[in-house]
Amino acid sequence: MIKTKDLIKTVSTSEGELQILQPVNFSVEAGESIAIIGASGSGKSTLLGLLAGLDTATSGEIWLDGAPLHDLDEEARAQLRGEKVGFIFQSFMLVPSLTALENIMLPAEIIGLDNPKARALEVLKQVGVEHRAGHYPNQLSGGEQQRVAIARAFITSPKILFADEPTGNLDAHNSHNVESLLFDLNKQSNTTLILVTHDPELAKKCDRQLAMTAGELVEVTPNQDNLGSSKTEHQNNPASHDQEASV
Amino acid sequence: MISMSSVRAKNMPRQLAWRLFKHEAKRGELSIILFAIILSVAAVLSLSLFSERLQGALTDRSAEFIAADRQLSARNPIDPAWITQAQTFSLATAEQVSTRSMAFANDELALVDLRAVSDTYPLKGNIKLAPELFATGAATTQIPKRGEAWIDSRLFQLLGLVIGDNIELGDATFTVTQILSEIPDGGFSVFNADPMVLINHQDIAATNVTGPGSRVNYKAYFTGENSDLDDYFDALSPQLDRQIHRWLSVQDDTSPIGESVARAEQFFLLASLLAIVLAAVAIGVAAQRYAQRHFDPVAIMKTLGASTNTIRKVYLYQISFIAILGIMLGAVVGFVLQQIVVSALADTVEVSLQVWYWRPMLIAIFTGSVCALLFCLYPLLGLFSIPPLRVLRRDISATFSSRGGQYITAGGAILLLMWVYSQNLKISLILFVSGLILVGLLLGATFGLIALGRVLGKGRMGAWQLAWARIKRRSLDNSVQLISFALTIMLLLVVLVMRNDIVQQWRDQLPQGTANYFLANVTQEQRPKLVEHFAKNGIDTDGLYPVSRGRFVKVNDELIRTDISKEDEDTTNETRRGLGREANLTWDTVLQSGNEIIAGQWHDQWTPQNSTLPEGVFPVSIEERVGERMRIGMGDELTFNIGSEIVTVQVTSVRTVNWQTMQPNFFFVLHPEAMSQFRASYITSFYLPPERKPELTKLMAPFASVTMFDVDARINQVRSIIDQVSAAIEFILVLVLVAGSLVLVAQVQASMDERQRELAILRTLGAKGMMIRLSVIYEFLIIGSVAGFMAALANEVSLYLLQTNVFQMQSSLHLEYWVIAPVTGAVVVGLLGAASCWRLLSMNTQVLLRKML
Repeated sequence: MIKTKDLIKTVSTSEGELQILQPVNFSVEAGESIAIIGASGSGKSTLLGLLAGLDTATSGEIWLDGAPLHDLDEEARAQLRGEKVGFIFQSFMLVPSLTALENIMLPAEIIGLDNPKARALEVLKQVGVEHRAGHYPNQLSGGEQQRVAIARAFITSPKILFADEPTGNLDAHNSHNVESLLFDLNKQSNTTLILVTHDPELAKKCDRQLAMTAGELVEVTPNQDNLGSSKTEHQNNPASHDQEASV
Repeated sequence: MISMSSVRAKNMPRQLAWRLFKHEAKRGELSIILFAIILSVAAVLSLSLFSERLQGALTDRSAEFIAADRQLSARNPIDPAWITQAQTFSLATAEQVSTRSMAFANDELALVDLRAVSDTYPLKGNIKLAPELFATGAATTQIPKRGEAWIDSRLFQLLGLVIGDNIELGDATFTVTQILSEIPDGGFSVFNADPMVLINHQDIAATNVTGPGSRVNYKAYFTGENSDLDDYFDALSPQLDRQIHRWLSVQDDTSPIGESVARAEQFFLLASLLAIVLAAVAIGVAAQRYAQRHFDPVAIMKTLGASTNTIRKVYLYQISFIAILGIMLGAVVGFVLQQIVVSALADTVEVSLQVWYWRPMLIAIFTGSVCALLFCLYPLLGLFSIPPLRVLRRDISATFSSRGGQYITAGGAILLLMWVYSQNLKISLILFVSGLILVGLLLGATFGLIALGRVLGKGRMGAWQLAWARIKRRSLDNSVQLISFALTIMLLLVVLVMRNDIVQQWRDQLPQGTANYFLANVTQEQRPKLVEHFAKNGIDTDGLYPVSRGRFVKVNDELIRTDISKEDEDTTNETRRGLGREANLTWDTVLQSGNEIIAGQWHDQWTPQNSTLPEGVFPVSIEERVGERMRIGMGDELTFNIGSEIVTVQVTSVRTVNWQTMQPNFFFVLHPEAMSQFRASYITSFYLPPERKPELTKLMAPFASVTMFDVDARINQVRSIIDQVSAAIEFILVLVLVAGSLVLVAQVQASMDERQRELAILRTLGAKGMMIRLSVIYEFLIIGSVAGFMAALANEVSLYLLQTNVFQMQSSLHLEYWVIAPVTGAVVVGLLGAASCWRLLSMNTQVLLRKML
């Protein structure tokens, strides 16, 4: 479903070029759930941005459901996102001047789905905030806002869901509810989930965990408590022979 | 399987835009930008509609002075085909033939100003008839019937006539049937004003006074739509001979009224232009804020798959919805506002009864659209360029950002609007360049302020230090804010000071107690008696001036061809011959009030003994403008024939004369030595309060031979127009002040939004409310006072340029505003800042933080 090849991201700073992603090579199968974990500033959100086509890599390839994301321009990437990708953010990112229902309808309308309202009402019911349909985001609690965001992410039945610290702004109780909801819906719709978090408990709920440290991505084996590297794919990837950490 | 509809996708941007528009309008999020558009449209519409109506009324009033909208004056009979042609242009026409002629009655004769008018005369204004001699006249719609003559009160006295008597004019005899009080274009000249006789146009031929050798003035009058009048003039002008014909429109009226109206029109134009600029600034501020608020929604939509094209459509639709609603509401508000003002001022200000004009409406719509489009363009371009990555990294802003481009577009839009609206590049450029100078100064001031802040903001962190820290950190935003505050204050100052100066100069022209009667032909013997008699009756005369008529003979060695030119002095004086064959000469060693020597030396120092002039040559002081027209300057020798004596004088001084003062004024003032051998008659003027008017006949009874001119009606007319225009200007001032204040509110509001996050953080960190409030107040006080000071500076520059180049007024420094502007700026901006801050800080921190999300 997702495959990257020698993905590099460098940025210009006043002190010269700074490579914030070392060459990253990994692939994700359809229906898999992957957690990308790491400390703040390790580059995990940068990677998420690249995988979702929100940003462009300095070099390397990204294949998303067979589409060469690295070859697409902004417009084509937007179209691809609309059709195949769903998003959940730490700060919810709801449009403040649209109601909960309208926020959920938005992606469906953008790609021109039929009956966006009926679909939105359905998913709203699934996330359990149908009684808040007509409320604006600032009238909702954090937990409710994130439920609406989850509903918005699922309305287009995306093949891939990107979640950036989905519980980062929530208390323990709400975090737990949102997590359950996210994984339940994910399972139901067989969506590929890429989840960025620094919460090890949340990460454990995913099929695989990848750890990001200073721009390097390594797979965390299920029996490992500490971050370590697995060279399982290394041998299959001659292009990254010289790389210290490829997955 | 997901089903998609292309129709739905196509309509999506409009539907989404409508939905966003509806919700945002309901939640008050559009209020500032909507309000700015409403303000611009309402201000422009109400100002221009009101000024159109007022100008309509004033032009009508002024038109009365030429008895029509346009007047063609000629020395030869006007071709009847031209009159017929005018009628094909849907113009109303009238005709008048005038000449000076002798009138005979009761074995007496008098020189009269004979006017023969056609049935439709006057096209504007009224002929007024008096019920008894010298009484106030009442309007009539009639003209004399054939064989009838309506004559001036003075002529009744001079010829000893009563109603029903006959009077001979040339070869024809007329019956006197009415006492003529005034005609609209009767003119207003103290000298040479012969009593007027009005007869029917068809009778003029029978008098035979218009034959060869006589000096006759033919006039044709036209009224109609301006465009028709202009078209007619364009068609007629190839046939006009400048030597013979003179085309006169209301705008050419150089009387005090004409000048007042012209100046008022310029003021309205200026005020409207400033209203446009104010509105544009408001829209610019609001659009910037609007775009910033939509950074996140755009990033979200792009993340969710919306193409840039879709985003573009959504926001262009939304801006269109806002602009349309703003323009509609603005039009309603503007119209109602203007109507309220018209009703409120109904007693003072006369406006046209026509309540609707298309031009102001079109201008208002054009202004609203251009402002919305051009001022939103750059913020929107920035908005469209927001990358979707912002959803992950909130610090990412618009990738398209060109402040330079934004300023050029905004400046260009303002200049375009000003130019289109005023059709006066000069006035537009003056304001625009002043604005640019101000912007430059302010940018410099901002950096100065930051440098100052480093010094003043030192010490332990308190409200004062916090204020300076914010000014320093937000230097770029502050410079934009400072510029918009200062621009607003400057525009308000310009309107305020211009209004004060204009109204003051008008009032100065005709202070209370301005002479309303003139006396002429007072003999030397009558002079002391008259002074005594008037003093006894408690009436002051403005001094008695000796007058003698002198015929021009030579200027230096050049003979004046008086035999060819038979013009009188009250007519055109375009060439050296132009002053006419005779001039009214006076003599004195005391310089009259309202006169100022601009070259040479006044007579008071001159004596025959210390004279440096040739033997038998005396000094003369000439009025500046007549000198220019006749090409006479310092040192030129003028020779007059007075009686049968020759008097030679040399120009030893040049004077400016304030012709607006209602006192006798003279082109030529000689030294008394030059005139010692001549008998003089005297003229004077005096003020008689209206309630004492009935005493007039008694007052003048001992001086039957003295000629009296009643200019009371004229003065009242001028004064009432000045009062009207002043009241109207007051309204415009208030409107511009309100508009300006609202712009300030919008600006403070917009900047408070930006400060909200910081306030929330400070609050969360436990900063005391009072400290935050004080820091905001200090910050706004500092910005307000700097903006006020800069505005005062720029105000002087623009006032100087406007007053000297556009309004033809004396310009002076307005030092009081150098203090008033910074203080007012600080207080108003500080208070507005404090009020907005109070509102924010009255919310609990939780709400404040949530508002940030």
